[in-house]
Amino acid sequence: MSDSAVAAPVRTDGYAALRDYAVIGDGRSVALIACDGAVDWLSWPDLDSPTLFAAVLDQARGGRFTLRPEVPYTAARRYLPGTNVLETTFTTAGGTVRVTDALTLSDTASLTPGRELVRRIEGLAGSVPMGWSVQPRFAYGARAPHLARRAGVPVATCGAEAVAICAWHAGQPQYTADSVTGHFRTESGTRALIALPYAYQEPLVLPPRAECEARLDHTAATWRQWSDDRTYTGPWREAVLRSALALKLLVFAPSGAVAAAATCSLPEELGGERNWDYRFSWIRDSAFTLDAFLKLGCAPEATSYLWWLMHASQLTHPRLHVLYRLSGGTRAPERTLPLSGYRGSSPVRVGNAAAGQLQLDTYGELLQTAWLYTTAGHRLDADVARRLAEIADFICTTWRQPDAGIWEVRSAPEHFTQSKMMCWIALDRALDLAGRQLIPARHAARWHEERQAVADFVETRCFSERMNSHTRSAGSDDVDASLLLGLLHGYRPSDDRRMSGTVSAVQETLRAGPYVNRYLGPDGLSGSEGAFLACSFWLAEALARCGRTEEAVSLMDQLVALGNDVGLYSEEIDPASGAFLGNLPQGLTHLALISAACAIGEATR
Amino acid sequence: MSIWAALAGGFVGTLILTTGLRAANTFNLTRIDLPFLLGTAFTGDRTRAKAIGYSAHFINGLIFALLYYAVFAAIDYSSWWLGTVFGLVHGLFAATALVNILLPLVHPRMGTSQTSAPDVALLEPPGFLMLNYGRGTPTVTLAAHLAYGTIVGGFLTWPS
Repeated sequence: MSDSAVAAPVRTDGYAALRDYAVIGDGRSVALIACDGAVDWLSWPDLDSPTLFAAVLDQARGGRFTLRPEVPYTAARRYLPGTNVLETTFTTAGGTVRVTDALTLSDTASLTPGRELVRRIEGLAGSVPMGWSVQPRFAYGARAPHLARRAGVPVATCGAEAVAICAWHAGQPQYTADSVTGHFRTESGTRALIALPYAYQEPLVLPPRAECEARLDHTAATWRQWSDDRTYTGPWREAVLRSALALKLLVFAPSGAVAAAATCSLPEELGGERNWDYRFSWIRDSAFTLDAFLKLGCAPEATSYLWWLMHASQLTHPRLHVLYRLSGGTRAPERTLPLSGYRGSSPVRVGNAAAGQLQLDTYGELLQTAWLYTTAGHRLDADVARRLAEIADFICTTWRQPDAGIWEVRSAPEHFTQSKMMCWIALDRALDLAGRQLIPARHAARWHEERQAVADFVETRCFSERMNSHTRSAGSDDVDASLLLGLLHGYRPSDDRRMSGTVSAVQETLRAGPYVNRYLGPDGLSGSEGAFLACSFWLAEALARCGRTEEAVSLMDQLVALGNDVGLYSEEIDPASGAFLGNLPQGLTHLALISAACAIGEATR
Repeated sequence: MSIWAALAGGFVGTLILTTGLRAANTFNLTRIDLPFLLGTAFTGDRTRAKAIGYSAHFINGLIFALLYYAVFAAIDYSSWWLGTVFGLVHGLFAATALVNILLPLVHPRMGTSQTSAPDVALLEPPGFLMLNYGRGTPTVTLAAHLAYGTIVGGFLTWPS
């Protein structure tokens, strides 16, 4: 993304607009930085750990790290090309200053802190008074830090956690009751640095400035190298590459799991109750994830992800949980935090009660994922092959049950059409794998029989002749954007009359401009939500696959323009205001962007 | 008490330990798979890893049995219950240090808490008490090692 200037950022009741956030990360943890330079979200040591900064969920109690000019300013920002290193340039009447932010990557050249946030401040022109404040609040703001000095460095501790505030040429650190602050002035050519090394269950590493500077440069170079290795050459390359980099931030490097998003409880409706924790790995996203990895030339990530998927699901085999912890665990108990929520959107939840739901589409996703993996030339070992065959057996006995569907509705289970389509895909992929002797074929005849039974169910009970479309669920008169996945994953070919009718029905019923709603029917929750961005990208891809390429390109152009100034997307957008809603950066949205760009690229070739 | 008895005990003990862990695995009590963890240190091919891992695991079992034998010989006493105590210590060591801390340090495909982008682990780290592999893992691992220690102790006591 190119540098884009924004006016002096405006906060409402202390909250930045969600669109104003950029994200940095190191493959283990993620921070959100507003365009006024405030780090309003940071969970350490891991992406799904309790937070050190959570001002985005409670500006009074959450904790944050602010760094900005102390006079009126405008801000412009970008990622350093091909990296997840953020650069914010503040322009004031008296001068210009540039802040470069990164969560540094591990480096064998020096003793690296367990985790580290580095902020470099460079005076570019004139003179700018700067102020900073670190307000650490451990455990989602529940625990105040103990502030002390260690070797002359301010250190905040709480239980097994400790974070140091190392500042060089950034003013003399001052203590208040619960924060450390500083003031300094940049001149043209001056350079200051503030680093936050962090330790969990180990002694703090207090790095010298030269090592912090070197790690920041190493981090940028490493990200650039990773980007240079990506193989995508199709349309909207810049947006696809940024999506790949955002997706890479959601890859939990210690295990290979991929989180759905980096945050929890950012609202799908301002002031509403639709606030969920997305820092888990959803089986629902697995096929898109693996497909994106393969298309982008990320073979190590693809293999690691499939290994993790098969390991994580082993404890619940042959059943699949809707989601798994990044460490591979299955427990995700939902609880409410005593935080006010983003602009009063409460409850603030951590954990996710959807974990215990029955979601039949996940089985299709897993078999589709394994199928994609093998079609890329990879092999399955005997254990994994046996388990995939057992999952296909399990589908034969389970597909007739109602479920919560891909959207995890909290109303009564239904016979969701997309779930049944994915059951068909599960059995179809199992048959293909068995046909290629990649999984045991003992029960292939039964899979064949049940696959036909699923198709009969979908085509007789989940299709409306009146609408010429598949319906949201059996006997329903509604449509649902998830039906597009039937086409995208290959339930029916793109020239199938019923499938193209379904695409048209989704477009006519759920689309408004570039925005597509998931559904219009009830889901067991009060309130409403914004337009679901992944569905918009799915529609663009579906149009391309149906041969409606011009419409697809036009829609895609509009959608790419909807990203924020640094090319990131949240889960949803308010069509009326364009405001971001829901957790961010949202993996599914970025995955859908990558998939749509690839499909449209193929269609236009 | 002889070296041959130690080797025989080590072989049978490892067989029981491995079978026990495999059974727990099959019953979804844990995701731990020691031969797999060991084998993937040598190869990324999952099938070959298991073959190599089983061999390495049996060799480890024999080496540990010889260690038991050395300690029994040093104190000039052996019994099945002392073997059980050694198994307890052995199991605790495996759960808290060997697999949790030492293995990730030397395993080229296993993540650690320090693994960062752009690297990505092929194997998730075990975590404290190997709890990342399921809540039943510490119990199952300890029980398997108790059985191993008891068997090695019994072999080293027999026929006296």
